[in-house]
Amino acid sequence: MERVHYSVNTTSTIMRFLIIVIFCSLQLSGFAQPRYKISEGTVYFKSDAPLEFIEAESPEIKGIIDVENRTFAFSIPMNSFQGFNSALQREHFNENYLESNKFPSGTFSGKIIEQTDFSKDGEYTVRAKGKLAIHGVEQERIIKSTVKVSGGKIYIASKFTVLLKEHDIDIPRIVFQKIAEEIEVKISATLIKA
Amino acid sequence: MKLRLYILVPLIALLSTVQQTGWSQEPFFRRHLLGEALENAKVTLVYESSDGFLWFGSNRGLLQYDGIEFTVFKAPDLPVNNQQVTAIFYDSKFRLWVGYEDGSIFFLNNYRRLQRWELEEGQPASPIKGIAEDRNGVLWIATYGEGIYYHDNNHLYNIDTDDGLASNDIYVLSPDKQGRMWVGTDNGISICTLNQGKKQVEHLSKANGLPDEIVREIVHDAAGNCWIGMNDNGFCYYNTQKQTFSYPAPDWDIGVINAMTLFENRDLWIATEGNGLWRYAFADKRLEKISDNGKKLRKAKIYDLHRDIEGNLWVVNNIEGVCSANRRFEYLTVSFDNIQALLTDHKKRLWAGTGNGLYVLENSELAAFIRVSSLPENANVVSLYEDPYHNIWIGTYDEGAYCYNPVSHKIRHINEKGGLTTNSVISISGLGNRLWLATFGGVTALTLEGNPFEGGKITFQNLNNESGLGSNFIYKSFVDSKGRTWFGSDGKGISVLEKGKITNFTHAGDIRLGSVYSIAEDDRGHIWMSTDKEGIFEFDGKNFTRLSVKEGLRKMIIMGLAANQRGDLILTHNAGIDILDPVTKHLIYYDDEVGIAKTEPNLNAFCADAEHNIWMGFGNQIIKYCALDDTLAIHPRTLLKNVSIFLEPVDFDAAPRFSHDQNNLIFEYTGLWYTDPEAVRYRYKLEGHNMDWIESADLRAVFPNLPPGDYTFLVASSENAAFDDEPVVRYAFTILPPFWMRWWFILLVIITGSVVARYFLQVRDKRLQQAALLKKEKIESQYEALKSQINPHFLFNSFNTLITIIEENPGLAVEYVETLSDYYRSILQYREKEVIPLEEELELVRNYVFLLKKRYGDNFNLHIECDSGSKLSILLPPLTLQMLVENAVKHNVISKGKKLEVAISVSPDGRYLVVTNNLQRKMTAEKSTGFGLQSIARRYELLTDSKIIIEETADAFRVRIPLIKNEKDESVNHRR
Repeated sequence: MERVHYSVNTTSTIMRFLIIVIFCSLQLSGFAQPRYKISEGTVYFKSDAPLEFIEAESPEIKGIIDVENRTFAFSIPMNSFQGFNSALQREHFNENYLESNKFPSGTFSGKIIEQTDFSKDGEYTVRAKGKLAIHGVEQERIIKSTVKVSGGKIYIASKFTVLLKEHDIDIPRIVFQKIAEEIEVKISATLIKA
Repeated sequence: MKLRLYILVPLIALLSTVQQTGWSQEPFFRRHLLGEALENAKVTLVYESSDGFLWFGSNRGLLQYDGIEFTVFKAPDLPVNNQQVTAIFYDSKFRLWVGYEDGSIFFLNNYRRLQRWELEEGQPASPIKGIAEDRNGVLWIATYGEGIYYHDNNHLYNIDTDDGLASNDIYVLSPDKQGRMWVGTDNGISICTLNQGKKQVEHLSKANGLPDEIVREIVHDAAGNCWIGMNDNGFCYYNTQKQTFSYPAPDWDIGVINAMTLFENRDLWIATEGNGLWRYAFADKRLEKISDNGKKLRKAKIYDLHRDIEGNLWVVNNIEGVCSANRRFEYLTVSFDNIQALLTDHKKRLWAGTGNGLYVLENSELAAFIRVSSLPENANVVSLYEDPYHNIWIGTYDEGAYCYNPVSHKIRHINEKGGLTTNSVISISGLGNRLWLATFGGVTALTLEGNPFEGGKITFQNLNNESGLGSNFIYKSFVDSKGRTWFGSDGKGISVLEKGKITNFTHAGDIRLGSVYSIAEDDRGHIWMSTDKEGIFEFDGKNFTRLSVKEGLRKMIIMGLAANQRGDLILTHNAGIDILDPVTKHLIYYDDEVGIAKTEPNLNAFCADAEHNIWMGFGNQIIKYCALDDTLAIHPRTLLKNVSIFLEPVDFDAAPRFSHDQNNLIFEYTGLWYTDPEAVRYRYKLEGHNMDWIESADLRAVFPNLPPGDYTFLVASSENAAFDDEPVVRYAFTILPPFWMRWWFILLVIITGSVVARYFLQVRDKRLQQAALLKKEKIESQYEALKSQINPHFLFNSFNTLITIIEENPGLAVEYVETLSDYYRSILQYREKEVIPLEEELELVRNYVFLLKKRYGDNFNLHIECDSGSKLSILLPPLTLQMLVENAVKHNVISKGKKLEVAISVSPDGRYLVVTNNLQRKMTAEKSTGFGLQSIARRYELLTDSKIIIEETADAFRVRIPLIKNEKDESVNHRR
């Protein structure tokens, strides 16, 4: 519910800080700290509005999970999304709605609620409680994911809804019928031991 | 005195041990069996929804209880025999939420079935320990393991230790009146709120003075403070204003507290894990164990407690399953029998007069009566009274009265010899230092001039028959708030002494009062009296109003009548106890369900104490009626549980409009009266169905084959067979008529019908007009034909022709005249007909041509090119061809050089009869009326849809006449 606007610098500073912290700890901890990072993955979203269907995808998701502390951090560059119905649409997405220059990344970081043992192979349903930051607006969210652990790899798939108004993404009235208020987001990623 | 003390000390010690084995004054517990289907179910939770239902959580699912049977609601996708319900909540939108051990959350949908709550965020994976709603309608869910969740703006949010919650392991969720969520955890109390969507968490922990940080129960009271039940240190009270804790029982060693429930200003009930049920009474700050009369509750694990809206206490435990007790009644079984008089004095001591002496309950903590040894052992005590000097006055049967000082144990005997009217003192009352002793010889008024044990003088004044009393046999004396003294007599009604004047009432209207056993005054100052045969009467200062069996009394003989200044009148009789509301006259019956034995109460075996409790003696049992401060229901809550059509439940939220074939309705209702569920009766009616109220004990009403219409189903339930003051539950619905009976369809039919009828009428009119026109045309043409045929020219020509042939060929002349005659006859003959066959017309034309040919010779020729078939099958209006031939002759030059050739033929497409002649117009045309062609054209217009076609080329004139086929002959004739 918190609505905090960060300036360009703050957001990137936070992200940079986060990444530095994570990577540093990775370097320092070595094998003792069981951390996994995304080797490949995609973020997909679709907007199913009465007049137009828009979808886009990006493979540039980055992220890390600390399975011991059950903490995680995911990030995606907003301007890396491809798809859309036209180049102009993509431009609008980045410049008008998401303001990708100002708020370059979408992030989700927090803690997994379930006390799941990720060292054991199997399929689990977990809920991640964290801060979802899009368009510079942070919202606390619980996101449900299915997790498959197999052969030292963790496969994650999740689906959730982003309400545009919760992230202060204003849609001009003219294109209202063309962009859905609720955007469905799907994430799939494979994580390997870092 | 010292000696007495020596005796008393071991006695007290003895009594203390007795107390442990059960002399407690407590309610009567009744067990509720789950039924065979749920025999091994373990019930651990009780919840009352605001619609009045009691719900129980078990390991076999959610149970609904109507007082008679338990109904199981299974969660569809949980294991059938393992669905441990751990939380139940009924929200402000009338939705029942159910939380389970595995973290699942279900709700009861509009079809009264459990449905999983589908959330994008997923459901918790830890036991749900509580569900509640704040003032903004946000749903809160407490878990044991994941902290607390709340559902706001379509998202589920979590508050856990990362957000400042004391612990993620929650035992209890308890919202206060401001909607703040009090969360009892294993690390103290967190108070959670949302401030404009932002989480806020406050703490109460050891630092604030909380004695034990494992908090298992929080109960808020009406003042806004709360009682806290803990794991090890018992319970404490938290004053939210002063923010202080207090410990009524600091030395608690009774064990883990599982649950608590509160009766406002009276007591707190405490459920322990393995050490039974306890009660902390506020008035005397006493903690005591509930003995359940020595039954099994003593060692039970009590899982949950609940006070319901009727004042019943529900106890869920491992041994008895589900038990309940009506908190209004408490019982004390005593070692002596035949209690005849009861009195509570200024020190809250309870005095019990029996057929064998007087007993006193000195200290309620001892909970044991002591015999008053100063009084003769066999004294038959029938009345008791405390005077202003705190002496106890004891009226006996046949032994006069005693005045006893409980402090000095001195006693003074007063009998007939000492000035009493007789030795049987049935009732004692008083005001100030004046006492009224009712006896079987009238009334003795005693005036105490000071404490009799300190030299105060007693003066006597006797009232009897001679002083104006209606009877000398007085059962009851009673002083009211206006200082009047009332006397209830044997057989002679009631008398009142006011300002030295006695008034006797033997009748209330036409009804003889008879014996008046008991007198009481309600808080409006009305005097109530009970009689031996006629029920009870209310006297408002002017008139008597009777309440009898007809008005809901269970018995006409009411022994005891007492008022408690709380708006309750208590009636005792041999079927139990009735509580009467003196204003509404609403009666509640109590008997064996609440533990009242059906024994004969005694006349004076009741009294009211300073706390508005009423004590009653029944044999060896003393019953205390507690006027509870909680707002309690006095009516059964009538609920429409289910409405089904052909056994399919109806969605209560949907508009109740059913189609004409959805007309088999079943209404399932219940009247929830947990105090005595078996006593509940129903009455229902279906408005719109021509039906009166139907009284029934059934829990359903079936209406098969309802015709379309508007209906309202009404049902009321009553626990005392008096329905007039019971709230009525309604369900209005409509069975729509089938579409062919709805107004729009009927209207449509009417409109369509009238349009069609109008169309037919128009067609008919048109046809009639046509027929009339046709007739007119026909007449005109016939007239014209006749006129033309007898036109002088034709006749003149004919006669000239005739002249020439008479001499040359007389035979031909005869034939000529015959033909002429035939021709005219034919014209006359066909005059009447609309159409004639072609053959007949041709015959006529041949005759005509014969006549013409005699004149023109070979200069005029007619060629008829019709086969015999068409001659018979074709119809045409008479004289059509004749007129056309005549026209040809009339308008064309006929001479040797210019022969006129007329041909009659059927067109190649078979649709027309064609009359053709070569065109050689006369230069001086005969004057033409133009009638011939016009007449033909008009007649054809009326007869057929086709028109005649006239074609004129440079050298030919052609008329095409539409053919009328002979099969139409019939209809043509019919049209006439």
